[in-house]
Parts: sequence; C-alpha cells; structure tokens
Amino acid sequence: MTITEKIMAKQSGREKVAPGELVWVDVHTVMTMDYLGKTCFDKFNSLGKTEVFDKDRVICVSDHLVPPPNQKFATMLNEWRAVVKKHDITHFYDLGRQGIAHQIMVEQGHVLPGTISIGTDSHANTYGAAGAVGNAVGVTDAAVAMATGKAWFRVPESVRFNIVGEWQPYIMAKDLSLHIMGMMHWNGHLIYKTLEFTGPAISSLSMAGRMTLCNMTVDLGAKNGIIAPDHITADYLDGVAKGDWDMIQSDEEAKYVAEYTINVSDLGPTVALPDKLDDTVPVENVIGTKFNKAFVGTCTNGRLEDLAIMADIMKDKQIHRDVNMIVVPASQTVYLDALRAGYLETLILAGAAIDTPSCAACAGIHTGVAGDGDIVLSAGNRNMKGRMGSKNAQIYLTSPAVVAASAIRGEITDPRTFN
Amino acid sequence: MIKGKCWVASDYVMAYDIIIQQFWTSPIDPLLNSEWVMAGVEESFNKENGFKNEGYTFIIAAHNFAGGGKSIEHVIAGLMGAGIKAVFADSFARLQFRNAINYGLPFVTCTDIAQGCETGDEIEYDPDSGLIKNISKGTTFQSVPAAPFVAEVGKAGGLMNYVRDKISNGEAIG
Ligand code: SF4
Repeated sequence: MTITEKIMAKQSGREKVAPGELVWVDVHTVMTMDYLGKTCFDKFNSLGKTEVFDKDRVICVSDHLVPPPNQKFATMLNEWRAVVKKHDITHFYDLGRQGIAHQIMVEQGHVLPGTISIGTDSHANTYGAAGAVGNAVGVTDAAVAMATGKAWFRVPESVRFNIVGEWQPYIMAKDLSLHIMGMMHWNGHLIYKTLEFTGPAISSLSMAGRMTLCNMTVDLGAKNGIIAPDHITADYLDGVAKGDWDMIQSDEEAKYVAEYTINVSDLGPTVALPDKLDDTVPVENVIGTKFNKAFVGTCTNGRLEDLAIMADIMKDKQIHRDVNMIVVPASQTVYLDALRAGYLETLILAGAAIDTPSCAACAGIHTGVAGDGDIVLSAGNRNMKGRMGSKNAQIYLTSPAVVAASAIRGEITDPRTFN
Repeated sequence: MIKGKCWVASDYVMAYDIIIQQFWTSPIDPLLNSEWVMAGVEESFNKENGFKNEGYTFIIAAHNFAGGGKSIEHVIAGLMGAGIKAVFADSFARLQFRNAINYGLPFVTCTDIAQGCETGDEIEYDPDSGLIKNISKGTTFQSVPAAPFVAEVGKAGGLMNYVRDKISNGEAIG
C-alpha cells in the first residue's frame, strides 16, 4: 500500500484498503476559521450535539477576516469569537496569536505523521508536508467530524512524483509546484488522486518547501499531496507536536497509477501568466515585464525561509519607485522569527510594507486588494481574474526569490543573474 | 424519474464563477444563494435570479465542473435553490463533488453527454439505473451509477440528516 492507503487503513481500523473504497476514518484534528466557522458550529449544533468530540482537537483560527477591514467583518468576527468561546475550544488562534490556518496547523503541531486532519479551506492539503493526510472539506464534513471525530473518504489512487537532482541557488519549491502545474495542466489526470512526492530532492527539502509543494496540490485538482515523514519532519515536530505520531511510509511494492520523474538540477525560476494557473513559463520568457504591485505572503509562501531569501536578495537595495510591495508573514511566529533574524528590517529598509499575519489580499477580500489596471507579481497560489480584487487586474505568480529581485528592478527579473 | 430541461455549459465552469466573490461570506441558504447563482459564468445570468428564472432542471457540463478549488457549500446550495436536480459532466472538481454528495444533489459522471445535448433539451433521468434520456434528440446515455453509500446519503436527504439519524438512534458511524 502507499502511505495514503496505509494511513486510511489505520485510521479506519482495517488491515488494508484499496483505491475506490469508501471508508469512515478517525480524524486527528478538524480546523475551521473565521468566515466559515460560525456556520460550522451551527451545523454541528443542528446534529443534536453541544460538545465537540475533543476540545483539544477542534482547531479554530482567525485568518481571512483579521484585522477586520469593515463593519461586516468585525461583526462576523464577534459572532465567531462568541461561538468558539461557548464551545470552550482549547486552541483558538485569534488576532494577536493568529496566522493563516494552514501554517498554524503544521507549525503548532496539530498535524502529525500517520494521521488525518481536515479543514474547511481548500489549502488544507498543506498538511501532507508533515506526513499526514490533509484534506479540504466543506462545513458539512467539518460539522460531522466535530460531532463524531470521523469523516468519510473514497480511498484515492496514488500518483508518484519522484524528484531528483540538486536544488540550485534561488530555485524554490514554488518553482517546482508551478512547473508541475504547467506539465500536468488541468487535464483531469490528477483529479481525485493523491500525489506522493519522493526522491533525493524531497529528502533535502525543508519543511517550508514541503508545505509549499503540498499546498498547491489542491490547485492541481488532487485530493491530497503527501511527503513521507523523515528526520526533517521529526526535528520540526519535536517540541511542538500535540500528540503521538507514526512514521508511516509507502511499501516498496506499493502501486501507483502514474509515476513522473523531475530533475530539479534543470529547473529554473518559473512564472504562471495571468488568469490561468497552468499557463506557466520559464522566467526567461517574461523578463522585463513591468508590474506595479508585489505581494509575498499566503499559505503558499509566507514562511521564514521565504522571507530569508528575499532579505538576502533585497539587502541594501531599494524597491523600484513604480512598485508597491506588501509582505505578510504567514503567522505571528513567522513574524517574530523574521523580526529577530533581521529579515523584516532589511525588507522595510528596502521600502516594503509589512502587514500583520492574515490571508491579506490573497482572496481579494482584505488588505491590499488589486484595483483596475494593477499588474501584480505575487508569490501566492491563485491568479484567476478577480482573485485579488478587480477583474481588470492581472496577476503573475512566482517564487518569493523572483518577486524580490523583480521588485528592485521594477520588471520581472531572474534572481540568478540579478547581481 | 426526474424530468425537465437542461442548460449546457462549457468546459471549466469554475466554483468561484458559480458563486461570485461578494457572496462568499453570505450565509449558506438555497434561497439566498440561488438569487445570484452562475452570475460569473455567463453575462446573461449576471442579474438577480438570472439563472434561476430560466427554470432549468439539469446542468450538462464537460470537464472539471465547479473547479478552481473553492470549498464553499454556497455553490451546491445555490444550484439546488435554483431548481437543479442533477448535474451531468465528464468530470467534477473533487471539493464540490464531495459537497454535492453531502447535500444529496446528484453529480453524475457521464462522458460525452456534453456533445450530444443542447440548452433547452428535455431530459429524463433515472437515478436508480443511471440512464439519461434526451427526449428532444431521442438519444440515451448511460451514466456511472452512484455508489451505495452515496445513494444512502442521497435517500436520507444529505449527510446532515444521515448523521443526525445515526446519532439520535445511538448508532455508530462507519
Ligand atoms: S492565504 Fe489565500 S489561499 Fe491560503 S487560506 Fe488564505 S485565502 Fe486561502
């Protein structure tokens, strides 16, 4: 069996499972957040329940609406806080202790190898970075899991991405993600599948990179992305993990419906052109393209390693006068670590605006949204028309390294030849 | 047996076009969500009850229906509120496929149906056999029948009812 099959077997109390089977599994944690959370609790109550299955394992986060930009969101947040309080939830990451939910879930040890966690937001696939099955669900599934500790799943077929070669300077997991996006397209091959990333270039990848990679599997239409736990996972979780874990690995003879090999030694900076995520090109094709807004943050690229590489590139330089740059750390922990490491100071001196951790403009409903005519160079995960605000804005997606070098030049730039 | 007329969509009808951004933070409610459902898909639907007033019973789509990775259930509630009784497509985005099952709205996989039908055609669908008849064209398509669990959830009127019944009867789940 593959790692995903083994986890689903274990969590459904079976010896084995096969792709296509429907199983009810035990979930380790259920995440919900500010803008859907109240509905989630209301639905949970309508099941005839008042107490959640485990107060320590329903994780509540304020990320999409904080700090509230308008009265509507402020009122929604107040209702959300009341309902979390009423249910006496142990782990509530509200404004002041906040972060993007997916970052919080991994960083605070709520996601553990060999377990299954679900969340009411599409990028819950991020949890695969910790060797867990992480899955995005709607509020109905979350309400059921809050009541019963269980969720139903169809066991997915597994696809293996064997990542070989050596990471080159300024090449990031985001480039690999975008490369895979361009390679697979929205052709349906990956819908409902689990994507398992293995190989030497995964073994050498940091947790931050693993999170980026698993995060964007939802945008490929996959059910989940997963990376088998190793010493990097264990070191990361040591001291933060809330519960026991199991270092489940795929069997040697596990079956995959498809296998692909990618050599990262040949990988260059990669950019998704506006409107379509799978329309990706090597940075060379778009060098010199002008833009006026730069954005780095989100559950895809708002982590410490992302800010570190940007600080390295932007040190003692000035952001181009025609570019406004917003940087949003993915959580308060990342914010503080980046502050202490001096990265934020470097970015501020270069002329970047740092915003408090949240989803910010990623979904176009919050700070720093795009207006008519904006051309945004973003390290986020989605670029469809209107995603960050105006339908008359264009969004290019790329890595934090490309955004950093480009922000200095005022046009899309290859970070490898920047200096 | 369900009967009614269909709307034929094109490839890649995205979830965030079925429910446009300004309504993502609205309550989930079939009546409310159906008022502006499909507003981003076609300009003619971009008015109050624009899609709903057409009186369609079925949607026939091609690839990746309701894709784009939004998990919001407003999409399914909106379609149901607009009178949609089943959606037939080559493939569905997994998040909304899951939501549809949980709401008891049949999302039925049926390859090639999109080529054989036009908007306004009279369709007859038998959920038990999976047979889809296009009465206007005199053609028939065999869809993939629902898995037993999915059919059971559908009969209960959705996952909430299914689980509520189990809980109130003190039965185990799974
Ligand atoms: S950062 Fe963007 S993609 Fe991630 S959870 Fe927030 S809105 Fe969604």
